[in-house]
Amino acid sequence: MPVTGKHVVDMMESVAAIKEALPYLLHGSVVTMGLVCGAMILGLTLGIFLAVGQVYGGAVLRSVIGVYVWFFRGVPLLVLLFLFYFGLFSLLNINLSAFTVAAIVLGLISSAYQSQIFRGAIVSLPEGQFKAARALGMSDRKSIFYIILPQALRLSIPAWSNEYSIVLKDSAVAYALGVMEIMARAHFVASRTYEHFPLYFTAGGIFLVLTYLGTKGLGILEKKVSIPGYTR
Amino acid sequence: MEELFFIQHDVIPALWRGLLVSIRLIVPSAICGLIIGVFIGVSRVFGGTVIKTCANIYVALFRGFPLVVQLFIWYFGLPHIGIYMSPFLASVFGFSLCSGAYHSEYVRGALLSIKQGQLLAARSLGFSKMKMIISVVLPQAFRRALPGCGNEIIYLIKYSSLAYMITCIELTGEGKIIASETFKYTEIFFIVGIVYLLLTSVASWLLHRIENNLRLPGFDHYAL
Amino acid sequence: MKMIRNSVLRVEGMTKRYGQKEVLKNASLTVNEGELKILIGPSGGGKSTLLQCINFLVTPDAGRVWLKGEEIIRTHKRALYAYRQKVGMIFQDFNLFDHLTALNNVTIGLVRVRGMHKQEALDKAVYELERVGLKDHIYKYPAQLSGGQKQRVSIARALAMDPEVMLIDEPTSALDPELISEVLAVIENLRANGMTMVMSTHHMGFAREVADEIVFLEDGCILETGTPDKIFLRAECERTRAFCSKILELYGNA
Repeated sequence: MPVTGKHVVDMMESVAAIKEALPYLLHGSVVTMGLVCGAMILGLTLGIFLAVGQVYGGAVLRSVIGVYVWFFRGVPLLVLLFLFYFGLFSLLNINLSAFTVAAIVLGLISSAYQSQIFRGAIVSLPEGQFKAARALGMSDRKSIFYIILPQALRLSIPAWSNEYSIVLKDSAVAYALGVMEIMARAHFVASRTYEHFPLYFTAGGIFLVLTYLGTKGLGILEKKVSIPGYTR
Repeated sequence: MEELFFIQHDVIPALWRGLLVSIRLIVPSAICGLIIGVFIGVSRVFGGTVIKTCANIYVALFRGFPLVVQLFIWYFGLPHIGIYMSPFLASVFGFSLCSGAYHSEYVRGALLSIKQGQLLAARSLGFSKMKMIISVVLPQAFRRALPGCGNEIIYLIKYSSLAYMITCIELTGEGKIIASETFKYTEIFFIVGIVYLLLTSVASWLLHRIENNLRLPGFDHYAL
Repeated sequence: MKMIRNSVLRVEGMTKRYGQKEVLKNASLTVNEGELKILIGPSGGGKSTLLQCINFLVTPDAGRVWLKGEEIIRTHKRALYAYRQKVGMIFQDFNLFDHLTALNNVTIGLVRVRGMHKQEALDKAVYELERVGLKDHIYKYPAQLSGGQKQRVSIARALAMDPEVMLIDEPTSALDPELISEVLAVIENLRANGMTMVMSTHHMGFAREVADEIVFLEDGCILETGTPDKIFLRAECERTRAFCSKILELYGNA
């Protein structure tokens, strides 16, 4: 296809559209990162308790956690967003913003996945670690929090950084509740300027950059907290 | 009583309709996705430099962009260059291309995990390249890729709900419509959720059965 | 006293370069029927490369090969595959097919390459596995076998193809010491039954006892060839003497 004057004009218009929309989209990335950070922190906290419960808990606790994990891993994000935002929370008369609901739902789902990451890491630790902690007179709770988790969490960082990139991409679904994150803003501008391709690609590009930055950061963290001489 | 009547006459037929659309989305997307995944995965391992680079860029983009962004590109973006697709077609297209990129990761890993020595051994027995791929490479690669690819199909079942966002009315969409009409959000979306839960559970049960039937010593799949 | 034997395998002028490095320089040898030729020399001296060049698993830069007087044209695919069927190969790290039982590791070549009937192939495979002492393990997968057992399966796999000659590449160096003797015993047995073999090894005791001829390879060159007594007691080449005395010092006479 020969490059004609029309193409050049088109391209220049696209570049101009991206330039104009970029600050607006970048503002959306703050919203996106807010969602992701909230979700990851909620997921981490809940996930640790779920994992510990699933490994060391009694039969009842284990099966309750099993059902929780099964539910949140088996139901689509979009359905859960609708269920919580339009359904459960308003039924319970809890008035939360779309942003908060999206962060909570993303966090609940992530907690189910994160619990499996941590469980895998805990199970992979040699049994002798727990025994030695007990032999020192530590209670089970202390053994778990001072001996088992510090090791298990370190081992979980690679899988955790993978989980981060999944939550980041999933956060774009929050658009369905009207949360003004990157995707929502891109679509908003696109439907006014009719520059769909450039804007969606820019949005996608921002997601790529955020994925890269996050995994890079977690890679640095992994190196920083790594135990010298400890290889798996 | 009235509740029961409502469920029987309004909810169940609507959701059933939606479920059929969902299944019609999932099955072709899963099949096309797998075909694309095998194709891309093989190119990433055995292809020349150019093919390898192209395949890698494809995978980086389709795994890096959120699926919603991809669906919007196909549905809202393509008409600007004169390509029009129905919401249904755009969804199948988007799902296939995206899950193909993920499948290719597992296919690639499986192909790379086959020890080079076994290929030497096959050649030393007089196998031709084609026979070697059929009798030695594929049976092993298939087993190694199965857990990952199966998981990907379970993800696809869940992500098929995103078709709603480009106005393809499937299970989630039918649920949304009927819930907005009746304001019974909690009940309806709970039922919708349970249907998806059943779909994913049946799929993962099937997957485990296939895995167990094909399990061999030395091929236990690594936990998480 | 020496019988006149027919040559089975003739290799001439094998040369292989990886980039600038020449790992095999103009190596030639002739293997006669029923003969066991043992390649010795330091690691990285070109033993493996030579063996793998002989059946073209590694493509040599130069060199010709004759099997029973007929030259192998490497570029002729069909001839190449047929030739490889007649040359059994044993690898250092076994290279069993991980997805197949011991039995099917042996039958797969018979069925898929030679087109033998399934039942016939099974019978033959069972016979070959019995010969290497694995009657009780035929339904096990590689992951369930010890190193010595794996290596014996790989020998059975090669034997089942009725090879004219076997190429054996350090068959014991990936094995625990207590498993080595079971593999060496199988090889000694093969020799007693008249199999033609080329083998590389670090077991000087074994080499001295059973080899018909020893070939000393260093830096990709064949430096010296001779009977075990000649190589170990009256080596002409300085490098050979140095290598043998170092090995003897390290391992005694074992």
